[in-house]
Order: sequence, then C-alpha cells, then structure tokens
Amino acid sequence: MKNYYRHTYALKVSLCLLFPLFTSITTYAQDAPYLVTGRVQDETAPLAGVNIILKHKNKGTISDLDGRFAINTAANDTLVFSFLGYTPQEIPIGGKTEFYITMEPSAQALDQVVINAGYYKVSDKEKTGSITRITATEIENQPVSNPLAAMQGRMAGVNIVQSTGVPGGGFSVRIRGRNSIRADGSEPLYIVDGVPYPSQSLGNINVSNVLGNSQSPLNGISPNDIESIEVLKDADATAIYGSRGANGVVLITTKMGKSGKTRFQINTTTGVGSITRDLDLLNTEQYLAMRREAFANDGITEYPFNAYDVNGTWSTNRYTDWQEELLGGTAYYNTASASVQGGDNQTRFLLRGGYEEQTTVFPGDFKYKKGSALLNLNHSSPNNKFTLQFNGNYVVDNNKLPPINLVNEARNLPPNAPSLYDANGDLNWEDGTFTNPLAQLNGEYLSRTNTLLSSGTIAYRPLKGLEIKTNLGFTTNTLKETKTSPHTIYNPDYGLNSSYSSIIVNEANRRSYIVEPQLNYKKSIGKGNLNLLLGSTIQKEITTKSLLFAQGFSSNSLIYNPASAANIAIMSNTEEVYNYRALFGRLNFNWNHKYIVNLTGRRDGSSRFGPGNQYANFGAIGAAWIFSKEELIKNKLSFLSFGKLRGSYGTTGNDQIGNYGFLDTYTSSGLSYQGMQGLIPVSLFNPHFGWETNKKLEGAIELGLLKDKINLSASYYQNRSSNQLVGIPLPGTTGFSTLQANLPATVENTGWEFELATTNFQRDNFSWKTFINISLPRNKLLAFPNLDASTYANQYIIGEPLDILLLYNSNGVDPETGIYTFEDVDGDDAITKPNDLKTIANLSPKYFGGIQNTFTYANLSLDFLVQFVKQQGRNFMANSPLPGTMANQSTEILNHWQQQGDNTNVQLFTTGLNQEAVSGYVNNYDSDSSVGDASFIRLKNISLSYTIPTLSTLGVDCRVYALAQNLLTFTKYKGPDPETQIYDNLPPLKLVSIGLELTL
Amino acid sequence: MKNIYNTILKTSEGITFLLLLFAFFSCERIEVETPSHLLGGNNVYTDPTTVEAAIIGIYANLRDYGLLSGGAQGMSNLMGQYADELDYYSAIPLPEESFNKNNLTPSEPAVAEIWNSAYNQIYSTNAILEGVAGSDFFSEEEKAEFTGEALFIRGLLHFYLLNLYGDIPYIKTTNYIVNKSVSRMAESDVYALITADLLEAAELLPETDSTGEHTRPNKYTALALLARVYLYQKNYELANQYASLVIENNGWEDNIANVFLNSSRSTLWQFSPGQVGGNTLEADTFIILSAPPSTRALSSALVNAFSENDLRKTNWIGVVTDGNNSWYFPYKYKIGLGAGSSQEYSIIFRMAEQYIIRAEANTRLGNIAEAQNDINKIRNRAGLDNTTATTESELLIAILQERQLELFIEFGHRFFDLKRVGKLDEVLDQLKPGWNTTDRLFPLPERELVVNPNLQPQNPGY
Repeated sequence: MKNYYRHTYALKVSLCLLFPLFTSITTYAQDAPYLVTGRVQDETAPLAGVNIILKHKNKGTISDLDGRFAINTAANDTLVFSFLGYTPQEIPIGGKTEFYITMEPSAQALDQVVINAGYYKVSDKEKTGSITRITATEIENQPVSNPLAAMQGRMAGVNIVQSTGVPGGGFSVRIRGRNSIRADGSEPLYIVDGVPYPSQSLGNINVSNVLGNSQSPLNGISPNDIESIEVLKDADATAIYGSRGANGVVLITTKMGKSGKTRFQINTTTGVGSITRDLDLLNTEQYLAMRREAFANDGITEYPFNAYDVNGTWSTNRYTDWQEELLGGTAYYNTASASVQGGDNQTRFLLRGGYEEQTTVFPGDFKYKKGSALLNLNHSSPNNKFTLQFNGNYVVDNNKLPPINLVNEARNLPPNAPSLYDANGDLNWEDGTFTNPLAQLNGEYLSRTNTLLSSGTIAYRPLKGLEIKTNLGFTTNTLKETKTSPHTIYNPDYGLNSSYSSIIVNEANRRSYIVEPQLNYKKSIGKGNLNLLLGSTIQKEITTKSLLFAQGFSSNSLIYNPASAANIAIMSNTEEVYNYRALFGRLNFNWNHKYIVNLTGRRDGSSRFGPGNQYANFGAIGAAWIFSKEELIKNKLSFLSFGKLRGSYGTTGNDQIGNYGFLDTYTSSGLSYQGMQGLIPVSLFNPHFGWETNKKLEGAIELGLLKDKINLSASYYQNRSSNQLVGIPLPGTTGFSTLQANLPATVENTGWEFELATTNFQRDNFSWKTFINISLPRNKLLAFPNLDASTYANQYIIGEPLDILLLYNSNGVDPETGIYTFEDVDGDDAITKPNDLKTIANLSPKYFGGIQNTFTYANLSLDFLVQFVKQQGRNFMANSPLPGTMANQSTEILNHWQQQGDNTNVQLFTTGLNQEAVSGYVNNYDSDSSVGDASFIRLKNISLSYTIPTLSTLGVDCRVYALAQNLLTFTKYKGPDPETQIYDNLPPLKLVSIGLELTL
Repeated sequence: MKNIYNTILKTSEGITFLLLLFAFFSCERIEVETPSHLLGGNNVYTDPTTVEAAIIGIYANLRDYGLLSGGAQGMSNLMGQYADELDYYSAIPLPEESFNKNNLTPSEPAVAEIWNSAYNQIYSTNAILEGVAGSDFFSEEEKAEFTGEALFIRGLLHFYLLNLYGDIPYIKTTNYIVNKSVSRMAESDVYALITADLLEAAELLPETDSTGEHTRPNKYTALALLARVYLYQKNYELANQYASLVIENNGWEDNIANVFLNSSRSTLWQFSPGQVGGNTLEADTFIILSAPPSTRALSSALVNAFSENDLRKTNWIGVVTDGNNSWYFPYKYKIGLGAGSSQEYSIIFRMAEQYIIRAEANTRLGNIAEAQNDINKIRNRAGLDNTTATTESELLIAILQERQLELFIEFGHRFFDLKRVGKLDEVLDQLKPGWNTTDRLFPLPERELVVNPNLQPQNPGY
C-alpha cells in the first residue's frame, strides 16, 4: 500500500474528533505574556493539526493548514508536539520565540492510514482484504480529464486501457482479469461517495462514431474533485457488494472540507498535446509503384478511368502526409480551478469550482469543455452524537468534435491525392474525383452531459459504540448528443441542397436514488474489539433514451431544430426501470491488534431476473495475523518492523445484463408503413436465467522492513466465475444471433500481485522514494461442459484464456505464386473455417505494472511513472486495406513478393481482381501473422513542482509545476498505438503542461 | 438517568424498526416494471390491431432492410452488381465492391447480413403464425388474412434464400432449440415447402387487399409468386396456369410512363413508403446527380442491349455527362424519399413479369402463338414492333432478352434468369474478369457454419 497517508483527510478528521479539547485553531492563554510562534512540517510538507501543548500547563493549540502555530506561554515552559503517526517531540522554550519543527514519522504510522472500504473504514495495517488506492496527490499531477486515466499503471491488478485519444472517449477497465464470457460483462462497480455510479454509457454509437465507441460515463466526474480512489479486489472487500462485486469495486471519494483557517486556492494549467504514435506510410513514389505493380500483376495495362491516382487524373508528383494533415494538429489543454474551504470542529465546508478545456488534433475548431462544482458540508453536534454530511457534485461537459475521427482517411488516402483546398480557398473536389475528407467537418458531433451526484449521510450515536445512520443518494445524468450531416459534406456538383441535410439526436437520462439505512456497533471485549455492521439498500434506476433522425431542412442553419425538418423519424424511445434491494452485514473481530477475522455478507435481489431467480446470497470470510506483534518475532527479527499474513474466501455475483431479458417482448420498430408504426419482436427470450457467481480466494503477505523504509506486499488470488450469463451465440437461422442464458462454464483468473514501496534515501532536505507494482494475471477457461457441441466450440478452448484468437497458421508467402499460404490442418486441400483455425494467439496481458519514483529536494519535487505492459496484439495486417488497391499502406508492405523465388512475408499486390490473392489477404487477417508483440514501456507521467519559498513568508503558498503525460513510448508494435490497438481509433495523446497553484 | 433510559428506549425502537425494515427488503419479490416501450409478447396476440402492427413491422422491415430493400444492401443493387447490370465506381470501398468483382468470401459482412436479415424476417412471420394460431381473440377472416400474409412472406424469403445460397434450411418455427441446429435441405424439398406455403396463402388471402393501394399482398400476389416458382422448377404447365390466373384477374397499364407510379394499374404488390409523402429508396440509391458516378452506374452491356427506339430506354434509364463521357443509371423510380408527395412506391410484383412467365411457359409447351402474343404485349408497350422470333429456341432467346430489358435492376431477376437457363458462365465469363462457375451460389456466412456445424458443407469454391 502506498505511503501517501500523511495528508489523508480521514486522518485529519479523526484527529479533530480525537482532540475535542482544542476546538479552535489558536487558543490564546489569557494570563501568559510570552508569545511563541513557529511552523511544523514533516520531511515533505507543512503539517496541519499537530497538537502543541504546554507541558506544565493544561493549555495548547494545533497547527493550522500551513503548519503554523502561535501560543502564549512562559519562557521556561516546554512545548510538546504530537501528531498521529509521528514520534512526539518535547522542545524546551528556553527563551526562544520562534520554532521550526520537523516531525519524524513513527514506525506505527501505517496503522493509522485509514482506507475506505465502502460501507466501513479500516486501517491499512489491519485490513483483511485486498484494497489498493491512489490519492489526490497522484491524480492532480496528471493532466487528464477522466479519472480512469489517472489510475493507469498505478494499481496492481487493475488494467486500464484507453480506447481513443479523442477527448471524451472511453476506457476498458479490468480488475483481476476478465470474468465473463460476455465481452461486456466484466465492468467493475463504481461507487462515488457511497452511491453507485452506473458504468453503462448513455451514448449511442451511431451518434458518437468519432469516439470509436460510446462516451465514457466517467466524464461526469472531474479528476481534480477526487480525494481518493480505492479499488476493492478480493472476496473480503467485495462480498459486501454482493451481486455487483464480482468484477471488483472502484470507490471514488470526492474532496472534503478541512477545518482550520479559511483557505482559498486557485490553480491553473496550460499545455499542449499531440498523438503518441502513428503508422509509417508509403510516400508517393512507393505508393504509385505499388499501384502500377498491382495493375501489372492483374494484367491490366490501360488504367481504368476511376484509378485517378495512377491514370494521370491526379498529379503523380504531389505528396501529402495525410496523417500530419488530418491528425497532426496540436491540442491545447487548459484548466483552472478555485476552491475555498474551512470551518471548525463542528462544521467544515469545501466549495470548489473547476473548468477545463481541450482542443483536438483535427483540423478545425473543436473543443472539449468541462465545468464542475463541488460542495461538501460536514456538521457534527458539539457532543458528537449527531453528524451530518452532504456532498453535491455537478459537472457539465460539452464536447464539440468532427463527426468522424478522420483516422481511416489519414491512413488510406493516396499520398498523391489532391490538395484539400482549391485556389479560391474552397474545398477541392478535383472535378468529382476526390472525396475531400474535410467536407466531413461541415458536419459536427456535439454532446452535452449534465451530471449531478448528491449524497448525504445522517448519523446518530445514541450510546457509546452504537451508530445509526442512513446514506442517501440521488444521481442524475443527462446526455444530449447530436451528429449533423449537412448537404455540404457532399460534392456541390451533385446539386444537393439542404433538403438532404440531416441530424441524428440522442437524448438520454438516467436517474437513480438509493437509501441505505445502517446500524454500526462497536464493543471492546477484553483485548478484543468487536465491530458489527448491518444495513440494507433500496435502489431504483430509471433510464430513458430517445434517438431521433431528422432530414430535409429549408436551410442548414435550422439543422438543430428537428421541428423544421421535412421528415422526422424517432428511431427508438426506451424507458427502463431497474429495481434493486439488498441486506448486508459485516462482523469484524480484532484481538489485540494481532488476530483479525472479518465476515461479510449480502442478500441481493434484482429486477433483471425473472420470478424465482431474483434473490441470491453472497458472503466472505477474511482473516489476518499480524505476526510482527508476536514477542518472538519482535525479539528475534528486529529488522522486521511489520509483518502480516492475510487471506480471504467468498462469493460475489454479477448481474451485468440488460433489463427485461427474461421477458418475451415486442417493441416499436421505429419504421412506419401505411402510416402506422410497426411492432417487432425484441429478441429470443429465456425466462429462466439467474445470477452469475464468482468465488474468490486470496492469500497475501505484507512486510515492513527497516522501520518501514521498505514495504512489500505480495498476493496471490484465484477467482472462479461460473454459471456464466451469456448471450449464447446462435445461428442466424434462429432469427437472432444470441440468447441470454446461464452457461455451466467456469472462467478462472489467477495471478500474483506485488507492490513494493521503498524510501531509498532520506536525509535533510532530500528524499527519494520508489513505488513499484507488478501484476501477473492468468486467465483460463476451466470448464465448459459440452464445449464441442456448444455454439462456442470454435471460439474458446478449455485450458486457454478467453482472450484468444483461433487463427490459421501462416506458412508465409509461396515463393512460386506470391500468395499467402496457410497450414491445411484438416488436409482437405482448402483453407476453411473452423477446421484450419487451430493456432491459438493469446491476447491477454502477460504482466503489467508501473514504476514510480519521487524525488524531493527542499521545495522541489520530481515524480515520474513508467508504465509497462507485456502482451500480444493485432498488428496492421489485421486491418489495413488490400495492398494494391487505391489506399495507402504501411511501409511494412514494401518487402513484398515480386517475382518467383522471393521469400517475403507480404504477398503480391493486386487491385482486387486476383481472386486467390484476395482470399489470401482475407485469410491472412485471420492468421497468426496478424498478431505480434504489442508490449510497451511508456513514460506515463512526469511531474515537477516547485514551491516558491519567498512567497510563503507573505502568507501565500505558491507552487509552480510542469506535467507531462504519455511523453515517451517504447514498443516494437507494428501498428498505430500498442495501448489502444484499435486500428480505426485515434491513438492517445501525449500532453505537456505547466501550471501554477496559489494558496492563501 | 431518566434521559438515558429514554435514549435507550428510543434507540431500541429505532433498532427494531431498522431490523423490520431489513427483514422487509430482503424477501419481498422485486417488482419488474414493464417499460412503456415494450409490449409483452402474449399481449400482442390478443388484439387484431397489435397483430396488424406486427405484420406492418415485417413489411416496413422488408422495405428498409435485407433482400427486398431498394437501398444499396438490397438485391436490386447487389445482384445487379453481381451479374452484368451495374458497374462499380466508388473510390472508397463499399460492401458491393466484392459483389461487383464476384470475389465474395464467407466472411463478407454483406453475405451474412442478407442471410441474417432474411431469417430474422422469417422469425417474425413464424411468430405471427404461432401467435395467431394459439389465440382465440380473432375472427376467422382476421385469422385467414394474418396467416395468409405470414405464409406468403415466409415462402417469398425462402425462395430468394434458396436461389442465392443453394440448399438452405426451411424455418417453420420460432423455437430456437430446433432452429439452432438445422441442416441444409435439398432444393426440391425447399421448393415443396415454399409451394405448400404459397398455395395455402393463396387460399387464405383475399382477392383484393383492403388498402386499395396494393401495399399488402393478396391472393394474386401469392399466385404470381407461385407462377414464378413453377417456372424456376421448369413446371411449365403450372407456371402457365397460375400466370394466366393472375393475368385474367388483374389490370394492365398501357402507358410506359405510368408503370412505376404508385397508381399504376399493373402493380400486384408495392411497399408503402416509410413517411408521409415519401417515395422510394431505389431513387435515392440509383439516381446519379453528377458525373462521374461516385458509386454505381448501369453497365454498357445492359445499356447497349436496348434498341434506340425502345421507350424503356428513354423512360427508365437516366443519363449524366461530364461533357466527354456519359453514364447511365436506373431511372424507373424518379423521386427520392423525402420529396413531399408520394408518387412512386417500390414495386415488388408487377404484371409484366407474369406475361413473360406465361410466354416462356407457352414456348416450352409448344404454344408459339400465345407466347408471341404475350411478348408482343410487353414489346408494344415499349414502342417496339412485334417479335420476329418464331421457333422455340428463337423465342427463348427473345424472352431472355425481354426479361433483361423489362426487369432490369428489379430484385436480381437478371442473375436468377441467367442461372436457371444455365447461361451464367456463357454471359458473365466475357464481361466479368472475376467470374467463376462456383460463383453461381453465394458462400454460406462463415459465422453460420461455425455456430451451427450442421450447415456444413460450405458451398463449392469458398
């Protein structure tokens, strides 16, 4: 676990509660004439909330947020500085009036790192489950607009892949691997401030083509509003989330107000970005040579009239780097935020506002904008029996993008294609021979999301150890996205007018509320501590979506008003209601901080299942032994400052399937006939499907060496998912392609995770710390009764991972014919599916992780993260057009077959007339030569920050910093970007920015 | 003290309340709130209006998706490309490119799309057949009409699938347990099932459809398809008989300019447009607005087959020119979708085909004069003189030519005609460099064979 605990607000909160004696920031003794002032810090930063007591008087104060204090005392008294997690210090005043104190962390400090486990909190040292976390420190150092991006490479067992570099796009998140045979059933559960946050996008892919997928729903959260992100991984941590915990739980906690002097902070960042990587494509000379050779190979000597690139219609001397032209722009990135916080021990508040914008690498005026507001209020009664907490978070996000991402155009346009503009500065259509890619930019994609997350907790503690509380949450998420296709995206020679202009509009809304009454009881029994939690959940989620297509406007300026369209079609209009109820509990017993047992359980009911299948029970047991507290170890192995063994076993579930799957239903087809709307059957239905279950086992050891200068944890897990809920693929002859059902198959995820945190060097002003995490996951299809007879027979293999491809075994290019050849496994003299698809390619990562180093020297701090992934991926061969056709190619194809006897890995060129070459090309997609190494090492993040000391003395903390994301990538991948891999999507951006933070 | 007791009392009340709350939530059955956009399947078949809507759903789907659609993914375009009717012009790759080049592969998405959309439409017809059969909510007339329409569409779709993919499974139920492991059936067996469905449909369907617009198939639509089915099976007696029945009981449009109007008197069945004032997808698909063509245009082989004074050339073929070159496009339908007033509907069955069917049947049966009469009916409307063909073989050549000129770009007639008379190789070898004998059948979709190995073997050549 990481050591960024000293700044956790949880700690400070508990501190305030523990020391009610010092209720105001500065308590001046009325009767003493002698004023001392000073500042307390640890090795990195000022410490707020340090208790400063006068040893001989019952008086004291606490340090403010800048670590400053002032107290009236006597010249001969002694100051006692104490702070949880640090060794207390006694300093005689000895006539001095100014004190600068540096606190040393104590060995026990880790006990006090409090981790959010969702329904309860645990100290890091005494946790029984597997929980990893990042805090605001790491998030704020990254110029990213999606919280998922901030997690990449920093958490063992958490594999996050960015799927596009277009702002607003999505991510794939896998916590300890893929559990579900369904491609989309392995998403974790997101909880923001105690309220489930739906991870299904409201977007519609028909509208948001430019993103390559639907919008990321997590755009509704601003990373800078986040205090910490905890990821719950094993049964012990996730079973309390029952049916939704199978794929792990991501807990996002937003920032909370801190007591103390009212503090204002402003922060602003500005930066630039460009895409990380792209393909090496042919230049004009190479390209034209390819085309001419292809025609020659096909026996065509007179170029057809539509071969504009070679037949002289287009200049053969032009060269344009279309990737540079269409994707090579600079994206500008700006953020600004302001916050004010303060309060006393009874009431604390935080108000934050933020704004960020990011332009794109595309030509044209496109921009992603996000504004956020956060309000946090905490109140407790003076006797601490009653507490109230409110969080409100409102985010508006506006995205304006081209309607398509231009990636295919950039890669496929012949390098001698004509210029984009003619002499008059108008779009050039080259007399109808050139489909100008920029014409697409006359259309646009607009999206606007409004997200309100609100949650409240009311707690009452009527008796010592007893707490009754209710969490309340209300979330609403509204999306409106539109894509326009004005007639101006077509060649004006067609003579089209605005009656051909169209717009597609997706409007969606999701509202959900949750009520969770809970009872918490704590009791000491001898040296033991008992902790009991009982709670229940009622949740309702209503999702409405409507998709509208309007065409035919009297003017393009009316295009955003569907009412003025000649034709309007409502393509879909849906409303889904999801009802969910649960009862959950936890029993934790801790004997002498040495032996800990944790029992959790949940009974869940969901409306996604039919009668008789709605309820299921889930539970887990976790245990830990802190062996370093045994006398024997303490005496004999004194270098061991901490040692713990822990393990857990339990079950969780998965209900990530659509609503109403068990009902036989018809819906409006959206198509009308004879002026009447048609009805169509929605799908094949199965009334009997039920929960997917996931059994998780984990064992781990956590060690602290040399006074916790070295902290190591190693864990092994084994998760087995069975009763798989899948859309079983069916042949088209059934009328549909899938059927929802439970499949008696088991998927196993096992793996090792290591985390190592070391303080390599620490002296005076200089420190160097390293944090390394590495995960070695393994995914395996363990059991699948009757796999051979099932519809998955040719997709999965028992004993192999789910993320495999069954491919032809490429035998390279036949030196005689120049055409790809493949192993004819079944010996039938033809290359056919599925009998010849016998080569397995494993696309799941072999290992991944990150190495983070933090250097601080006085006021200067440097932090960098290197992310690494070892994996295979599909290369350009799986995606690029047929070499020889009118489309540019990767330079990899230069080494192609030209004459008999050539030994190469790329077959001869054809314009598409050589049928054998076309089949060879198509089969090559599905052969092992389309898979290659996609490992990469990426300098994911660097941050350099400097606090200007001279300004501190003026009462203003000023920090300047420089940040960079995805700065360098090392890979042998033969394709655009080894992370994204999706050929048609924009690679991620590398961003460099500088910023300024002022606190007063 | 009293205070504490009160607190304890209140607390225990609170705890009891909470426990009750917990108990309540943990066992009660969760309400499934059926949403406004869905209708339970069992509710559809309790009301003639909703069954009507379900049937309408099939027609609308046929019009916009799959085989019979006038869009680029329908047979009129794809089979026009696949045979010798259309040339491919697009600089950016379109799905129809591999149809034009006759290099379809089993993984070609369009090959799967045609198959899947047809079987999905067949599923809907079976759902109606089963739903109506198991329901007591309809009158005999309603039952007959719903059943007749569903049977007709089921037969029609299987007919096209059979001619595109060869031996195919005939799907007669919605039961996926049966349908997921079906095998290919011999052509004669499929034809027997098609014929049975159509004969029953012809029994059940009314003589005229209630809309008055020919937007629903009636008895004669079913008979018209039967005539074609028998012709394809070389059963000339029955082809002749059913074509005659259709001809005797339906009208004829003499003016060639009116044939493709929605008011045409020789229309047997046409699709109602999807929007008020709408027209056809065909017009949007085929009309070329500026030269050179950006996607597709008529092949010179087809354009040159017309004689200069053929009214079909002047009325049904459009031309664009860039000054030097001219390109031709199908212009049977002249008005795009969003024109404001409906004048043309997409016509699936029309009388001209019945006359040519009868001509061919009569030729084969040796009734030369009757055959000449029927051909002349078509030729005269096109402003041409009577046919000069007098022998059986001359007539067969004339008939094939007349079919090419009359029925071009209509649901793949050209391809199916060349195929059933055995002239695919003879004609296409010369015109299409990518043509192979085995291209007479599409490949079965790759996924289909993988998911249901009973459908093996793949068609030859793939």
